[in-house]
Amino acid sequence: MNKAIVLATAALTLAACAPAGSQQPVANGKKEISFLVFETPNLTPEYWDAAIKRVTDKHPDIAVKKLVAPSAGERNAYAKQLLASGQLPDVMQAIAPSGLAESGNLYAWSKEELKNYAHPRSNPLGGKIYQLPYNSQPTPLVYYNKKLFAEAGVDAPPKTYAELLDVSARLKAKGINPFVVGGGGKDAFAAGYIWIALVGADVYARQPDFLVKRRAGQVRFGDPAFVKATQKFADLVGKGYVDKAGLSRDYPSTEKAFLDGKGAMYPMGSWFAAAADAGADAGKPPFEIGVFAWPTDDGQVVVPSYTGGGPIVNARSRNLEAARTFALEFNQDAANNDVLVQSDAAIIAINGYRPPPMGPVYNATLEVFKAGKAVNAFTVETGDDSLLPGVGDKVFALAQEIIAGKTDGAAAAKALDAEWVKAGGR
Amino acid sequence: MFLDKRAAARTAAVPLQRLTYLLSFVAPGVLVYACFVLAPILLSFGYSLTDASLFATRTRFVGPDNYLRLLADPSFLTSLKVTTILTLIIVIVPNVAGVGVAVLLDRAGWLYRALRSVFFVPVVLSSVVVSVVWMAMLQDEGLINRLLGIRVGWLSDPDLALYSIGFIISWQMLGFCSVVYLAALQGVPQSLHEAAAIDGAGSWTRFRKVTWPLLAPALTTNTVMLLITGFKAYDHIQVLTAGGPGLGTTATVAFNVIQVGFTANRTGESSAMAILMLVIVATVSAVALRLLNRREVDL
Repeated sequence: MNKAIVLATAALTLAACAPAGSQQPVANGKKEISFLVFETPNLTPEYWDAAIKRVTDKHPDIAVKKLVAPSAGERNAYAKQLLASGQLPDVMQAIAPSGLAESGNLYAWSKEELKNYAHPRSNPLGGKIYQLPYNSQPTPLVYYNKKLFAEAGVDAPPKTYAELLDVSARLKAKGINPFVVGGGGKDAFAAGYIWIALVGADVYARQPDFLVKRRAGQVRFGDPAFVKATQKFADLVGKGYVDKAGLSRDYPSTEKAFLDGKGAMYPMGSWFAAAADAGADAGKPPFEIGVFAWPTDDGQVVVPSYTGGGPIVNARSRNLEAARTFALEFNQDAANNDVLVQSDAAIIAINGYRPPPMGPVYNATLEVFKAGKAVNAFTVETGDDSLLPGVGDKVFALAQEIIAGKTDGAAAAKALDAEWVKAGGR
Repeated sequence: MFLDKRAAARTAAVPLQRLTYLLSFVAPGVLVYACFVLAPILLSFGYSLTDASLFATRTRFVGPDNYLRLLADPSFLTSLKVTTILTLIIVIVPNVAGVGVAVLLDRAGWLYRALRSVFFVPVVLSSVVVSVVWMAMLQDEGLINRLLGIRVGWLSDPDLALYSIGFIISWQMLGFCSVVYLAALQGVPQSLHEAAAIDGAGSWTRFRKVTWPLLAPALTTNTVMLLITGFKAYDHIQVLTAGGPGLGTTATVAFNVIQVGFTANRTGESSAMAILMLVIVATVSAVALRLLNRREVDL
């Protein structure tokens, strides 16, 4: 009797300690895979559920367990937490592969599997592609409120940086806030878009491999070009062109602030075009929205952008075949991509794909993207040219300090170099 | 002689059997504690002596290097300062306000019973829910600024955000402190108040000389609970400011443990932070408990 009690106790305790991954992977005769997603105002729970269903309808032998990251900005850290607890999902949408790939956790896509992609060599890590490069995202472009521009007597978007300063001054003189920014709460990333734009226009346009060189210790953030770009950001803040209230707004509130007319310009990723067009369809906002690339000093059109964002697959998945099939199908399904274009203004980089008819802001976004010289988008890179782990968050924290008026270009660049070294860089 | 040996064996077997029987009752608790408390602490301590990274294929033993580096790292020292300030706010504000609310609610009648529930509601709410609600109200264009007709960056000003978070956590903990003080107040014998009143003591003197000393056990409970709440503050910060605005202006040690471990991938360093935090929390809690218990005895 006593032995039985002891054994039962031990068995119960051990069962309680068993990892979730040891559960039976086959449910009702189906291959079950877990799929990590994230939600935004554009990528709603309904979008994910419908998109998953479209794939599982085609592959009824696959069952998908949807996992949702706590927020869009925390999705990479969340994936690492799942890895640390032995629960790395089978498929993960738009998770940066850096770190996960080098440690052997990710499946490397074959040339054959990548043959349908327009840019099949995007963001390589050690020569291999781990993330399906299906979506190009200019990050950021500058969306602007045509009505507020008109009120300030501005009839065309600025083409040079000097013109941008002039437009900002005219807006401010009319009592109009020039730039809407975000960066509050858990969405610190939304503070960084002006800086990302400036680094693209002033640093990457001349040194496209700046971060590769930074990794090699050949350049520093404290170098004159990077400091100059950062100081431009601080100067915009100093002139009162950037609304500091953004530091109290999370990402959805920031988008709403621009759509509510609380500022004339909104530096944001191309996905904003979806919300802008959707708002126009619903009769809100009561103004037209235009878009232009962040102006350079000499007028060259430079568009920081990123092509990637697709699913990555856990190389140690118990149902690897099902995970790969699901990821490719989810990514290449035309109906899924149509919905993604409509809901998130995706610029699909899959050969032969034709987007559905879209609104004016999306079409204008596409036009600017195609007309400009594409450079990397600072902080968004995920390949061998990406920031070291953890440094991206420091960039956003420093962007917050700049917006709060607590630091200048040189000090921010110096702090970034210090964080780089702390992260293990040279 | 043979019989003596059998008898001795039987008497030795009985305690062993009984011990096994008793152990079977203790084992579940001990095993759960070992699995979920002791083992993680020991593992963390082990990691803290290595250069472990989430993605490293090889891990080296580095001895006390992580600890030495942390003690010279400005961002860790800043997070210690932030944690200390936040903890002080969280210990002082709900304790002081809790006594006041408890005294006000220490009356009979349905209204006071209802009010007790109202004050306790924030305690049972998720800290994420509380943070989301306060974040909406404390935006620069939020309800609070609009009601007051001012434009203060409660969460957007790097010099103010920490105090705003301290206020929000204090607000949430107020109900807990009030209930503990209220229970203690209701245990104060009325006869002591009457005796003091006969001796000519006014209401303030009665509170200071009779009520306050008898609230000592409640003060001990609240202080230790609030100390722990302050030291481990994470979720409110994650939702309200994510450690900002700016570099670490509201990043507590608990927040940095997660950031360094799961964003920067430096598991060894984050484990060292967690162990240092454990030592600090344990020491401060033990000292506070000892001082407050001694005060109870002295009184």
